[in-house]
Amino acid sequence: MADQQKQEAVQPALEMRLPDTLLEVNNLKMYFPITEGLFARLKGYTKAADDVSLFIRKGETLGLVGESGCGKTTVGRCIVRAYTPTAGQILYKNADETIVDLAPLDRKTVQPYRKEIRMIFQDPYSSLNPRMTVFDIISEALKVNKMMSQSEMEDRVEYILQRVGLRPEYIKRYPHAFSGGERQRIGIARALVTNPRLIVADEAVSALDVSIRAQILNLMEELQRDFDLTYLFVSHDLSVIRHICNRVVVMYVGKVVEIATGLDIYMNPKHPYTEALMSAVPVSNPRARDKGVRIRLPGEVADPSNPPPGCYFHPRCRFAKERCSAETPVLRDMGNDHFVSCHFAEELTLTGVRMA
Amino acid sequence: MTENNNLLEVYDLKVHFFTDEGVVKAIDGVDMNVANGKTLCLVGESGCGKSVTCRAFLGIVQKPGRIVSGQMLFRQNDHMIDIAKMDPKGQEIRQIRGKEIAMIFQEPMTSLSPMYTVGNQIMENILLHTGTSKQEARERTISLLDQVRIPKPDRLVDEYPFRLSGGMRQRAMIAMALSCNPTMLIADEPTTALDVTTQAQILDLMLELQYRYGMALLFITHDLGVVAEIADEVAVMYLGKIVERADADTIFNHPQHPYTQALLRSIPKITMKREELDPIKGMVPSPFRRPSGCNFNPRCPKAMSVCREIVPSMTQLGPNHTVACLLYESNIKDRKGGE
Repeated sequence: MADQQKQEAVQPALEMRLPDTLLEVNNLKMYFPITEGLFARLKGYTKAADDVSLFIRKGETLGLVGESGCGKTTVGRCIVRAYTPTAGQILYKNADETIVDLAPLDRKTVQPYRKEIRMIFQDPYSSLNPRMTVFDIISEALKVNKMMSQSEMEDRVEYILQRVGLRPEYIKRYPHAFSGGERQRIGIARALVTNPRLIVADEAVSALDVSIRAQILNLMEELQRDFDLTYLFVSHDLSVIRHICNRVVVMYVGKVVEIATGLDIYMNPKHPYTEALMSAVPVSNPRARDKGVRIRLPGEVADPSNPPPGCYFHPRCRFAKERCSAETPVLRDMGNDHFVSCHFAEELTLTGVRMA
Repeated sequence: MTENNNLLEVYDLKVHFFTDEGVVKAIDGVDMNVANGKTLCLVGESGCGKSVTCRAFLGIVQKPGRIVSGQMLFRQNDHMIDIAKMDPKGQEIRQIRGKEIAMIFQEPMTSLSPMYTVGNQIMENILLHTGTSKQEARERTISLLDQVRIPKPDRLVDEYPFRLSGGMRQRAMIAMALSCNPTMLIADEPTTALDVTTQAQILDLMLELQYRYGMALLFITHDLGVVAEIADEVAVMYLGKIVERADADTIFNHPQHPYTQALLRSIPKITMKREELDPIKGMVPSPFRRPSGCNFNPRCPKAMSVCREIVPSMTQLGPNHTVACLLYESNIKDRKGGE
């Protein structure tokens, strides 16, 4: 039945730009209305995601970075269709190579994709219902998708628990009996149980202590190999992104400013915002203290409901020229898998991460 | 003791929490000192007692916690006074708290009162500790806000905290902490809730102000990157004890305690490309069921059988490097016989 639903949802004549792509997001817009007064008069829109385009290759880990309020979580939530985007395309390639646009699907037609695109949340404390047992939490998606019988479900949950490094005996326990790291493992098990193809991990390790964070990162990499997973890894922590991601997307105030491979974006950034972001990351060696350039951005992040004209970054950019305040830059292909949205990307010489 | 340059000397500090389920030894024998004008970073995972330590210095340990024993000698006008002996609600400590020792908290959202203007909250501290008039206090507040680089300080002084962004609130908190020219500033994870670019701004600001005011800075964080950026000295805590203490370069490049080594191996580094991370096995034990002997022994890759029996004491490895690990104690056999 699920297959039948899926068939209905497949729209004809959709194509992706590159052959090995699993997901392609084109000009995604997510506007949240700002209302005022008793009758919720419309005052304006918060443009949380504004013309976001990116693609995720099969089997890779794509990092989505930016500061709070830049819209990275919004993009992640649009992809799992927790939000219905205002405009734009979310092209997803099924296992049988057919392509579907997830953006316009309604509650019912999007249902079969919910088990293929799963999410891991940031806070292991608030993302697990304290009144449900581990079994209930993990098997919920199986029940909703009517995938198997009770005993099959139990076997499946026990197997998944083992795979994420928890003892299968824990199946009847409640979340309060677990530590932060173990809870995050339950969250991962919940995402994994339906055999997904794409996992959106929204700040999945940000709330964990360093020693536990390393355990979870290693686990996620191991699972990626074993289950053939593709990750969209949303995080503000650039060291974590550097460790786990093949390619990185940098966002600023609802827009993508740069996309490049992991090495390129850290060593050879082409957008002034990326450069500033990299130079702000503390390097964990005291000997690196006085090395390299340090760029400190003046002012604050722009208000997404009232962004500056032209390039949103220009009021804080040290290279800003007249053109930057007049004309909005578009994301341009610089070759070598490097995309930048800056008028002067070719002319600027920027420095990457300080080396110890 | 008075000849050296120490602003604060702590000996065998113990803070225990008396809960219904049992006694939690949050701080279990901490020795440390903070030198005048220097930055000491206290690092550790959550629950290791770093926040409780600095709360003890101000006499603001929350119930059911209590300072059980220890000395906290603070230099005031060239002689040392013991903070541990003071009544936490008495006049004496109030002369120090907020004036000589100021504190910045982690959450800039919750540590400012939403009911009062920013200016009001900073002025309160000035009026309480110095005998200035309201007008003078207001002028001082505006100049402080200017020093922490808040734009349009004369207007912002009358704003309520909700109008400020996270970074701006943390700046206002710093202005408040600096309002009485403290000799020591305690900062408890002041940048953890902030974005990296804002964090970099705030760290720069704190170091600059430290230099200008000649304050000692006790900086508490779990972020080793931040430690590497700002610390002169580093103390690593694990389960209520300091396990290693040295200057920043030694801690990062020649760590000796297995916990410090493991902690450094487990962090992803921005300067290095993907290699398998080396996590610390297991997890922090429950505060009610601490392991016997060395606290770290169940997770330690170099644990020996004696580690389960003997509590390590601080061993001096260099002029400014101490470590609490049995690997470096020469007289284990004697101690074992003695116990």
